[in-house]
Amino acid sequence: MKHALLTAAAVATLATSAFAQEITLGRFFGACEDAGTDTTASVGEACIIQSIINAADAEIDGVSINTLPTDWGNYYDQIKAAYAGGTPPDVHVMHRHRIPEFAGIGALAEISDDLESVGIDPNDWSENALAAVSYNGGIYGVPMDFHANLWHVNMDIMAEAGLVADGKPVLPSSPEELLEHAQKVKEATGKDYLAADFAQFPIGVRLVLALMWQQNANIFTDDGTATINNDAAKNAVTAITQLFDAGLANPRLNYADSQQAFLNGEAAILVNGTWVVDFYTAEAAKSEVGLDNYYVADFPTLFETGATWADSHMWAIPSTLEGDKKMAALKVLAFINDHNIDWARTGHMAVCTSVVESDAYKSLPHRDEYAGTAAIARDTPPSERYGAIQDVLNRELQAIWLTGKSVDDALSDAEIEVQDLLDR
Amino acid sequence: MKRGYYWLVLGLSIPAFLWLVPTLWMVSLSFQPNDVLARSTSTTFFGLIPFPFTVENYSALFSFGQTPWWFLNSVIVSLGMTLGILAVSTTAGYALARLDFPGKTAITVICLIGLMVPEQAAFIPLYTMFADFGWHNSYHALILPRMAVPIGVFLMMQFFRAIPKDIEEAARLDGVGWLKIFWYVMLPLARPAMMTLAILTFLYAWNDYLWPLVSAQQRDYFTITLGLASIQSNFAQSEGLGRVMASGVVASLPVVILFLIFQRYVVQAMTLGGSKG
Amino acid sequence: MVGKSGNRLSQAQAAWLLLAPFLITYLLFLVYPFFQGIWISLHDWNLLEVAFNPDAKTFVGFRNYERVMWGRNIEWGLFTAPFWQGLGFVGLALSVFLRRADRLSRFNAIALGVASLLLVVLPGFHPGEEGRWYDRRFWPTVGNTLVFVGLAVPGVTISAMVLAAALNRETKAMGALRTLFFLSQVLSVTVVTLIWQIMFSPRQGLIANITEVLGGTPINWLTDEQFAMAAIVIATIWWSLGVAMILFLAGLQDISREIYEAAALDNARGVKAFWYVTLPNLKRTITLVVVLQIILHFQVFGQAHLMTQGGPNDTTQVLVRYIYQTGFRDSELGRASAMAVFLFLIMGTFSVIQFIAGREKT
Repeated sequence: MKHALLTAAAVATLATSAFAQEITLGRFFGACEDAGTDTTASVGEACIIQSIINAADAEIDGVSINTLPTDWGNYYDQIKAAYAGGTPPDVHVMHRHRIPEFAGIGALAEISDDLESVGIDPNDWSENALAAVSYNGGIYGVPMDFHANLWHVNMDIMAEAGLVADGKPVLPSSPEELLEHAQKVKEATGKDYLAADFAQFPIGVRLVLALMWQQNANIFTDDGTATINNDAAKNAVTAITQLFDAGLANPRLNYADSQQAFLNGEAAILVNGTWVVDFYTAEAAKSEVGLDNYYVADFPTLFETGATWADSHMWAIPSTLEGDKKMAALKVLAFINDHNIDWARTGHMAVCTSVVESDAYKSLPHRDEYAGTAAIARDTPPSERYGAIQDVLNRELQAIWLTGKSVDDALSDAEIEVQDLLDR
Repeated sequence: MKRGYYWLVLGLSIPAFLWLVPTLWMVSLSFQPNDVLARSTSTTFFGLIPFPFTVENYSALFSFGQTPWWFLNSVIVSLGMTLGILAVSTTAGYALARLDFPGKTAITVICLIGLMVPEQAAFIPLYTMFADFGWHNSYHALILPRMAVPIGVFLMMQFFRAIPKDIEEAARLDGVGWLKIFWYVMLPLARPAMMTLAILTFLYAWNDYLWPLVSAQQRDYFTITLGLASIQSNFAQSEGLGRVMASGVVASLPVVILFLIFQRYVVQAMTLGGSKG
Repeated sequence: MVGKSGNRLSQAQAAWLLLAPFLITYLLFLVYPFFQGIWISLHDWNLLEVAFNPDAKTFVGFRNYERVMWGRNIEWGLFTAPFWQGLGFVGLALSVFLRRADRLSRFNAIALGVASLLLVVLPGFHPGEEGRWYDRRFWPTVGNTLVFVGLAVPGVTISAMVLAAALNRETKAMGALRTLFFLSQVLSVTVVTLIWQIMFSPRQGLIANITEVLGGTPINWLTDEQFAMAAIVIATIWWSLGVAMILFLAGLQDISREIYEAAALDNARGVKAFWYVTLPNLKRTITLVVVLQIILHFQVFGQAHLMTQGGPNDTTQVLVRYIYQTGFRDSELGRASAMAVFLFLIMGTFSVIQFIAGREKT
C-alpha cells in the first residue's frame, strides 16, 4: 500500500526519502501491481517477486524500494543505457550469462567481502550457485535460482494415447520414438503432441541446444570457434522438424499462443521453463480450463547424455554504489536471499542448500517430478555476445521451420554469423 | 444528387465502422474479466460486446497502476515540447521571414539543411551527449532534442512571409520597434499557424517512442507510450489481457476527448498547414 | 514585456535576439550531435566500456562502414538480380523516351533516370566465389525497410486520397465520418501495436475468431513470413491515414468549384471528374503527402519492435530497429552510427527531392 501511495505522488517519494534510503530496483518478470506483502500467497513469477520486494520495502528499517518497470524485450538494452548514462538501478536482477558482459568492464560491485555484514552466507549456496555468480574469482551477485526447460505434460492426452505407465508419462528416448509418440497422440486424440514458442522467444533455440548437448556437442568452443554446421546440430534440428513435417506440431505459435494451446488441452506436451509450474498448477485446478491433469517432467534424453537448457537469475549492485546506499542495497539482497523458498514456489530450483533440503521445498507441487533437472542443467560457454548469439540462432532456426530454408544452409549461415560475433 | 449522397454516406459508413472495430474491441476487452479472456476473447459477438462485464480492470489500474502517473508524464512532456517549439519557432520564423540582417541567407540555408537530419539518425550521439551531462531521466532530456528540429521554424517562416508587408510598414512608420511589432502585430496574426504547429508537435510528442526508450530508464520519467510498451510484452506472463487493454484505453481516452473537443481546430489547423506547407 | 527596449534595437539586433533561442538549441541538440555521430562512426566505440573509461575507444577510420556495407570478394554483375535490374533498364529507356516525346518534365525525367540507374547498379553487387558480406543482415534490413515504405506509402496515400475525395462535403454526416477515420491517428504507437498484436493473434485475435466462424483456418499473421510485413503495414495504414486525409481535404478545397462546374458541362462527373479534374489539380498535395510519408515511414521502429520483434526470420527487421539493436543490445555504437549516417544520406536525398519538387511546381 505504501508503494501505491508512492506511485501516486512524487511528493510522497521525496518525503519518504528524507528519512529512509530509497533503493531503485530493476527487474524483469513482468508487472504485478497488486502483489501485496504476503510472500507465501502470491502466484506467478511477477507477483511472487513483487511480493518479496514489497515485503522488503515494508520490513527492512530505513529502506524503501522503488521498483522500475521494465519489460523483457528491452530489459538489457535499458540496463545498459542506464549504466552508460550513470544512473543504474541500485539493485537489479540479471542472468548468469550476462556476467561477463557487465562484470568484465567493472560495472558490477564485487561483494564477496560484504556478504557477511548483512548476514548472507555464501556457504549455504550450492556449488553451482556460487559458480553462477562468480567471475574471475570474485562474487558479483546473489544467486536466486536455477531455471531450466521442462516438459509440461497433459496426462489426460497422454493416457488416451497409451503413453502413461505407473502414473508417469512415457517420454521418448530417441528421435524416432519422439515421432512415434507424436503419431500415437495424433491418432488417438487428433491433437498435437508438442507445443512450444518456436516463433518468437528463443524456446525453440533452447530445445535444439539441449538436443545438441545431449550429443556432447556445443554451438561454440571455449576458445571461440563456432561449431554449428555439423551432424550433431543437424540431428537436433531434424528431431524437431520431423514433427512439423508430419503435421504433429505447429511451429507458428508464439509464447502466449503455445501456452494457451496447452492450457486449452490442445497439446500433450508444452516445452517451457520452470517459471510456469505454479501458474499451470493453479490453472489446472480450475474446472473451466482445458488442462486438468498436469504433470511436470524432466527434459527427456533423446540422445546419449541428459541435458536441458538452464540459466540462473541473480541480483547485482553497481560498482558505483557507496556508503549507506550500498549497505541498504545489500540488505535488499539479503532479504531476497532469505526468501529463496518463496521464489522457489514459482517452480524454479532453489540455490540455498538449506532450502533445497527443507521439507517445505520438497513438498512444493510437482517438485519431485522434475528432481532430475538440476543434474542435467547446461548452458553455452560464457560470452559477452550471448544475446546476439541467441538472436542469430533464433533467426536461422525460425528460417528453417517458418520459411522453409534448408537445414544445411541455415546451419552454415548460423555458424558464419556466430563466428563473426565471437571474432568481433 | 440527393439520393446519391445518402448512398455515399451509407457506403462510407461500412469502412468507417470497420475502421472503428479495433478500437471498440480494445474498449470491450477492457471491460471483461481476465480469466474469461484467458480462455476466449470472443465470448459475446466476437468479444465486441463486453459480456460478462466487469470494471475490475479499471479499479485495479487506478488503485495500483502506474498508468495515471505515466499519463501525467506524457502530458508534461508533450505540453513542454509544444510550448518550447512554439516559442523558438515563432521568434526564429519571424526573424527569418521579415527581418533583414547580414548572414540571413546563410542562416536560412543552415537551418534548411537541418531538416534533412532525421531524429532517428541522431539518437545515438544525443544519447552519449546527455549521458555525459548526466541529463537522462529528466523532463528536459525528453523535451530538448525535439526543440532543435527546424520544421516549426519553416512552417512559421512560410506563414509570416505570406502576410502583406503594409501591415508591418504602417507600424514602422509609427515608430514601433521590431520586437513590439512581432509581439503585438505578428503573433496575433500567426495564431492559426501556431495552432497547426502546436497540434502537430503535441501528436508527435505523445507518440514518440525511440528517444524516451533510450533516455528514460526510471519509472518517474516513463511516458505513457513507453509505459504501455513495457506492459504489453508481458501480458502472457501474469497480467491479464483485460488489464493491459484498460491501460490502453486510459492512455488514449484523454487524447481522444481532447481531439473531439478541438477537432474543428485540428482540422482547420491541418488544412492551413497543408495548403501553406 | 519586450516593447520598451524594442525601439532602440536595430533590425539586425532584433533579428539575432529573436533567432538566438532557436539557434542555440539547434546548434546544441542537432548540429553538434550530427557531427558527433559521424565522429562516433569512425571509432570502435563500446557503449558500456566508453561510459566507464572515456579512452576505451579506438579510431578505425571508415572500417565501420566497410564492416556494415561491404564484404569480401564483392562483385558486380549485370544479371545478378534480373528482375530489378531489368526494371531499371526499362525505367531508363522510359525516361529517355518520355523526355524526348516531351511527356515528362525535365526534373521528373532526371528523377526517373537516376532511380532507374540505381536500380540497375545497386542490386548488381553480390559476393563472388568464396566471398561474403561482412554484415549479412544490413542490406536485407535496408530491403525490408524499402518494402515497408513501398507498401505503406501507396497504401496510405491512395486510401487517404479516395477517402478525402468521398468525404469532401460540408455536412454533419461527412464531418462525423471524417472524425472516425482520423481518430486512430491520435493514438500512441504503443496503443496501436497493443491493439493490432491482439487483433492478429491466431488464437485470441478478432480476425482469427471471425475467420474460424466463417470456416477458414486462422492465419498466423505475425509469425508467418508471408504475412508479418503485411500485418505491420495494415496497422500502420490504420494508424497514420488521418493526417494524409486531412492534407488531401485541404488540397481539394483549393480546387475551385468553377473547374468542376466547367467539367460537369463536359459530362465529367463522379469518377470521371475525379480522374480528369481532381487528380491533376492534386499533384502538389500528392507530392507533399508522398514525400512526407516516405520520410516518416523510413524511420519506422515501434511497429516492428513491438509487434514482431523483427521476425520471423528477420523479415520485418527494419533499419532503425537494427541501429537500436546494434547500439544498445550489442553496445557497438560505432557500427550503429555508421548505419545512422547511411539513414541520414537516404533521408537527405528524399528531402532534396522534396525541396526541388516543391520549387518546380511553384
